[in-house]
Amino acid sequence: MAVIDEINEVRTRALADIESAQGTDALDTVRVDVLGKSGALTHYLRSMGSIPAGDRAIVGKTLNSVRDEVETALQHKHDALASAELDQSMAQGAVDITLPGRAQQVGTRHLISGIIDEITDIFRGIGYSVASGTEVETDYYNFEALNTPPDHPARGMQDTFYVVDQTGEHSSVRGESDVLLRTQTSGVQAHTMEDQKPPIYIVAPGKVYRRDVADPSHLPQFNQIEGLVVDKGITFGDLRGTLDYVCKQIFGEDRETRFRPHYFPFTEPSAEVDVSCGICHGKGCRFCKGTGWVEVLGCGMVDPNVFGYADIDPEVYSGFAFGMGAERIACLKYNVPDLRMLLAGDMRFLRQF
Amino acid sequence: MKVSLKWLREYVEVPDDNKALCDKLDLTGTGVEGADEKGASFSNVVVGQILAKEHHPNSDHMWVCSVDVGDHNLGDDGSPAPLQIVCGAQNFKALDKIAVALVGAQLPGDVKIKKSKLRGIKSCGMNCSSRELGLGAESDGIMILPEDAPIGVDFADYLDLTDTVLDLEITPNRPDCLSMEGMAREVGAIYRESVADVCTDYTLEENGQATDELVDVSVKDPDRCLRYAARVIDGIKVGPSPDWMVERLTAAGMRSINNVVDATNYVLMLLGQPLHAFDFDKVDKTGSRAQIIVRAAADGEHLTTLDGEDRTLSSDMTVIASPQRPLALAGVMGGLDSEVTDQTTSIMLETAVFDAAHTSRTSRNLGLMSESSIRYERKVDAAAVERNADFAAALIVALCGGSASKGLIDWYPQPVSPCDLRFRMPRFCKMMGADIPRAEAEDILTRLGCKVSDAGDDTMRVIAPTYRPDLEREIDLYEEVLRLYGMAKIPRTLPGGRGRVGRKSRHEKIIDRLHTTLQACGLNETMTYSFAGEDDLIKLRMDPSVKDHAVHVINPINADQSVMRQSIIPGLLRSVAFNQHHDCENVQLYEIGNVFTSHEGRKLPREQQKLAGVLVGSMANAQWNRPATPFDFFDGKGVLEAIARELALPKVRFKAADADKTPFLQPGRAAYLIAGGATIGWVGEIHPLAVKAFEAEAPVVAFELDIDHLEASTRPSRDYHDVSEFPAVRTDIAFVVDEGVTAEQMMQRITSAGGKILDDVQLFDIYRDEERLGAGKKSMAFALVWRALDRTLKGAEVDKAQAKLITKVGKATGAEVRAR
Repeated sequence: MAVIDEINEVRTRALADIESAQGTDALDTVRVDVLGKSGALTHYLRSMGSIPAGDRAIVGKTLNSVRDEVETALQHKHDALASAELDQSMAQGAVDITLPGRAQQVGTRHLISGIIDEITDIFRGIGYSVASGTEVETDYYNFEALNTPPDHPARGMQDTFYVVDQTGEHSSVRGESDVLLRTQTSGVQAHTMEDQKPPIYIVAPGKVYRRDVADPSHLPQFNQIEGLVVDKGITFGDLRGTLDYVCKQIFGEDRETRFRPHYFPFTEPSAEVDVSCGICHGKGCRFCKGTGWVEVLGCGMVDPNVFGYADIDPEVYSGFAFGMGAERIACLKYNVPDLRMLLAGDMRFLRQF
Repeated sequence: MKVSLKWLREYVEVPDDNKALCDKLDLTGTGVEGADEKGASFSNVVVGQILAKEHHPNSDHMWVCSVDVGDHNLGDDGSPAPLQIVCGAQNFKALDKIAVALVGAQLPGDVKIKKSKLRGIKSCGMNCSSRELGLGAESDGIMILPEDAPIGVDFADYLDLTDTVLDLEITPNRPDCLSMEGMAREVGAIYRESVADVCTDYTLEENGQATDELVDVSVKDPDRCLRYAARVIDGIKVGPSPDWMVERLTAAGMRSINNVVDATNYVLMLLGQPLHAFDFDKVDKTGSRAQIIVRAAADGEHLTTLDGEDRTLSSDMTVIASPQRPLALAGVMGGLDSEVTDQTTSIMLETAVFDAAHTSRTSRNLGLMSESSIRYERKVDAAAVERNADFAAALIVALCGGSASKGLIDWYPQPVSPCDLRFRMPRFCKMMGADIPRAEAEDILTRLGCKVSDAGDDTMRVIAPTYRPDLEREIDLYEEVLRLYGMAKIPRTLPGGRGRVGRKSRHEKIIDRLHTTLQACGLNETMTYSFAGEDDLIKLRMDPSVKDHAVHVINPINADQSVMRQSIIPGLLRSVAFNQHHDCENVQLYEIGNVFTSHEGRKLPREQQKLAGVLVGSMANAQWNRPATPFDFFDGKGVLEAIARELALPKVRFKAADADKTPFLQPGRAAYLIAGGATIGWVGEIHPLAVKAFEAEAPVVAFELDIDHLEASTRPSRDYHDVSEFPAVRTDIAFVVDEGVTAEQMMQRITSAGGKILDDVQLFDIYRDEERLGAGKKSMAFALVWRALDRTLKGAEVDKAQAKLITKVGKATGAEVRAR
């Protein structure tokens, strides 16, 4: 039958065109040519009425089967072409991923603040609160209430900056004054003991001042973190345990601590605490000057005289106090070669932390 | 305190292992700051013997010697042969044993001994004097050694010159350790070793002249002088000290002067007793007696001290005086007029104890620290004065000849009594947190020189030795027992306690939030000096009257740091300059810290915590995908907006700053941050001239806020606003307005005219065009978002609302719609 042959011819041509289509646009043209309003196959579907009735069934069947076959081929080809085209467009969109990203600069925390945060967090974890005080302090709170009366030899241990006393009072020693830049944050402890009844568990971080010319290992202004505990039944063992725990938190679990008896006017017994050297692990090296230990803090049991100033009964309460330098810890942890870098505001230094 | 172990070993057994000794001292409270291994300062010097001594043929004062140096010199046959040495000294004879520097010897002062010819005669070495070997200051000829000195032995070995000198940190509570005797006791206590009496070598023999016929002592103020002892030593000859003493003083870090002064220094180092020797002939006499008066100095009185300084004294200082004039500054330094000199033949030896507090103040007031003042301000044992005085006199007679007057004048009205203390064992153990056996505590206290007995009730009675002024309370004894028992033996525990929580205060939380916000804005935290230069604020063009309230440091290190800062900005500007000078152009810094303001009549200044920041350059250099955007006013303002948002500040607005109130800021680019009606701080570009004054390059965007004000304004919590589930309608409107109309005015009008359904307004464009808009006009384009909480808005409703908005805004501001 000629019609059947013609339909088959359309089929053959359509399948060949589909096969050879170069893109989804070309494929769409093929679809319109075959199945569009005036497409080759549409023509036969529309003219079924003119097919002799006897042939209609067979022609109709052939037409339907060809249409299904072409549609399926179109769909397969479209899927393949679309996928290839997407791949191609993505390939064109590839970038050099090593090019720098579009990051917002995030600012940095100062090394010393970071260390103070770290240490105060450790103490908060064991139930301490943070206390603070003024940087200009009276002689009474910086020295006297801490068992360092005016002519105590321990005053010579710290070179003090004095400031003009605006009440016009004069000190008994030339060049000194009743008002000074605190040499230690211990004054905060004296205030706390006056203002607050035990139990007291505080740490007091803050700036302190000593009259040292700035050089690689000295600054006239630095940061201390001092702590005070006053409670019933506080022991020297508690002091050892607390500082051992804290040092391990700061420097690492593998570090050991040792207590060396020392002297501070406001504590007794007093000690300095060393941490085993992080470089040689106690064998002795240049960093620890051959001792195997590096000094990190001073501490002791609160002297009964200090309790006396604050009206706390030393027969009922006992306590301990300790102090460490944030700059010293920074040096031990980061090997900062020159402390003056901490106050220069050098962006190249600050952006490292 | 420098301690020679060789010297220390004279009195107590010391372990040979120096490292172990140092560790032990460290762990018992005597810090070891250094250990100096001493050897001889010469090499290749041996003991020799003069075999023969002949006149030098070409000299009338030199000798040609034949010196036996054992097998250090071998003859042609390989057996020991004497050396030929030319020598100019006159103090030796044949068969004397001497120190010989061989050819190749190194002597102090970089002297090297070579073969030489002296006036034609060959000399193969040198006969040494003590000065040439660095062993003595002066010498009369060569050293003559004892007859039993073994020939050929290395001279350094023979003298036993090897020694270790420890540099010990003696804490202010341990004046006893500022002496060899004290250190011997301490080491003895540590190692349970017995300590020899350090005063046995000399015994005092007195002449017939009674001291009180020569000297009359009167102490005017017993509070200033606890004990005053004096004795006269007559007929002495001032000269060099013996080698052993020079060696010990040198090890102790002192310089040898002459035998009298050296003897007083030696007693100081040995016993911790400061002494003073007056030239007795230079002390004014009344008749034959010298009147020694210990009195307060008169205000304005002058005394020239031993160091040659003319000192102006005050009544708080104490002098040793004759009726005519002051002779010495008590406890600190002697006077130049009565100093012992080479001509001195008679001395008055003062052995006294002066008050600690007066000595400390005198020393600090005069800026004069001496070995005496250091000991007196830490307390000297008054009970030991008599023994010390007798020993010192005996030593001086032995070294300098002469004889001591009979009897010691000893003014000692109130003998010190030893502290009688109680030691409650249970309380001690409770405070230490360890069960320390009583026997152990008792043993330690006894080793330290305390007398311990039972006081019942598990308590010991402890009598502390007078040389330990630090042992005056029970707690002082606890420390002693603990340090020798060993701190390491106390078990480590953590405090118990009930109901204790570590918490952050509101202030700490706000500070934390500020740090987080500023860092999120790209700023880097820094710290600068709290000190400032007096003219910092003038340089910054700040109101000069502020300067009157500066807190002045009395003893600044330098002029740039003579006051406490009143603003953080100068410090930050210095950091900006530092970075710019180091080729770092992009600077984003902030600091939170205190500023200081003084007030007449108030002891303590006001301290305010401030937050300040600077933005210079841009956030980052130009990148491949992003240009560098230079910072301007709006970057600073943006940081404050972020802070205002993060701290939930209420009713935030920025108010243009008056140029005359903020002369340090560039006019027209400066604003105050106001929240809830309170001024929190300012933001702006620093005036270019101020920037220049700090050697930095403009523009510098900066801000400074008051933390107290911030904290007071911060709301504790934020309000919740419903979030609509219905779609939004977006419209844009451009208003043409006069230049004078501000963005803030427009935003306020639009927001209030838009009513409830106006969800959001953003200013997205500002446009100026004289031709199209007219002179003095600008177009401000706003993006509006319309949305209701309860329904989908219909077009007509939005149109109506927007028409109303345009009318209202137009009426209020004269704005006309340009395009829609």
